[in-house]
Amino acid sequence: MEPNRTALPFREFSHRISLIFMLTLAAALLLLGRAETYVFDRARQVVTDMAAPLLEIASRPVAATRRVIERTDEYAYVFDENERLRAENARLLAWKEEALKLQAKVARYEALLNVQVDPSINYASGRVVSDSGGPFVDTVLVNVGNEQGAKSGQAVIDTDGLVGRIVSTGPQASRVLLLTDLNSRIPVVIEPAHYKAVLAGDNTDWPKLEYLAAQSAVSAGDRVVTSGDGGLIPAGLPVGLVIQTSAGDLRVQTFSDRGRLDFVRVLQYEFPSKVKRQDPPEVLEGPPAGSEAEETGDAAVPGGAQAAAVE
Amino acid sequence: MAKLEPYSPTPASRAGRIVMTIMPFAIGLVCVLFSFVPIGRIFGSPLTPAFPLMAVYYWAIVRPEMFPPLAVFTVGLLFDLLSGGEIGLWAFVYVVTYAVVVTQRMLVVNAPFSAFWIGFAFAAGFAGALAWVVVSIIHGVFVPPVSVMKHMAVTVAVFPIFAMLFGRIEARVLQGG
Repeated sequence: MEPNRTALPFREFSHRISLIFMLTLAAALLLLGRAETYVFDRARQVVTDMAAPLLEIASRPVAATRRVIERTDEYAYVFDENERLRAENARLLAWKEEALKLQAKVARYEALLNVQVDPSINYASGRVVSDSGGPFVDTVLVNVGNEQGAKSGQAVIDTDGLVGRIVSTGPQASRVLLLTDLNSRIPVVIEPAHYKAVLAGDNTDWPKLEYLAAQSAVSAGDRVVTSGDGGLIPAGLPVGLVIQTSAGDLRVQTFSDRGRLDFVRVLQYEFPSKVKRQDPPEVLEGPPAGSEAEETGDAAVPGGAQAAAVE
Repeated sequence: MAKLEPYSPTPASRAGRIVMTIMPFAIGLVCVLFSFVPIGRIFGSPLTPAFPLMAVYYWAIVRPEMFPPLAVFTVGLLFDLLSGGEIGLWAFVYVVTYAVVVTQRMLVVNAPFSAFWIGFAFAAGFAGALAWVVVSIIHGVFVPPVSVMKHMAVTVAVFPIFAMLFGRIEARVLQGG
């Protein structure tokens, strides 16, 4: 043990030096990472794509265990559940009649008004393979990558409603920014009166409604759906219900349950943005610039100069 | 032909030594991966404990020479790359926490398990507070601290199970080797 004893002070010294070095490196990285450089994004994608298959394997037993627990739960309440479903079915049948009638009516109106119907949206289904990791980010990985057609910005939904949108993709996996994340902003409308707002995550379970007009009469229980503004996310996807906190501000309880995400769909929506530029019809164009300058005379020299500049 | 050296290590013991050197770091990496497995979904809750923090604390107390700062940094950086959050956040938090724990190591190194656990509660509280401050400064807003408090509370609550597990592995691999 003689050599070890002489090596000990040196070891401790090198340990300390390396600790200081790593501290500096980590602090530098924290500052540099803010620049969002290409290198970090690339490294992130590589690591994510490498880890995704491992995580997928690891998440299988988790999903299986959950299913067993749910199954057991269901067995315990099978009679009650059956009874409830029967009642619900009866209620829904009445609604179905109503919906069919309305559908026919809407189709007739649309035909009358020559409405452009939204094109049907393709989707790729996948599984959520990872959890967010860490208390400050609300993102999950899904096993749908750009090989399956996923692109940054696409909306992700599950059976309940909007889950979030894709923020980065690799060949095999994509990262989904959930509605509750600090960086999430989704344009929404609040339904019966069609008030527009932005759904902003703030790291709590209930995202806020921002940019809501001051005089809008939104109350708890109103449905929130996507507005389609910005062209990233199709309009009309269910998001959640408005709730009022004890502090009095309006927040949204999302339909999708963040704790139970499993199978999701990535919507490959393309905004019909390729519209030809159209010049305004001649009747709408103002009088020629020269005549305007003549009419206003000397008093409006800047206007005249501007018109000349435009010419 | 060189003469036989009676004390040269056998290949098996050399392999054992490599395993011993790498094992704590490997456990750290497994902890990082494990914290992304959606275990919380079984209970219908998105809470996941900070597994890497447990590994960092455990090895910083028990065998700091086997878990050098470089390993702590790598574990934190890998976590950052996988989590999609700020690059360097957890690398920074884990290295600072490691530095603090290593300097206070003598307080708990031969103490009973309860002291070890209380020490971890302090370390987790420190790490959570530091991370919260850094994130709040970066985003320029007051980030609600509830989620990080819950996260650290769960971490402290499940720590004994993992400490026991690490202890078992250590006893098997390190002392056996």
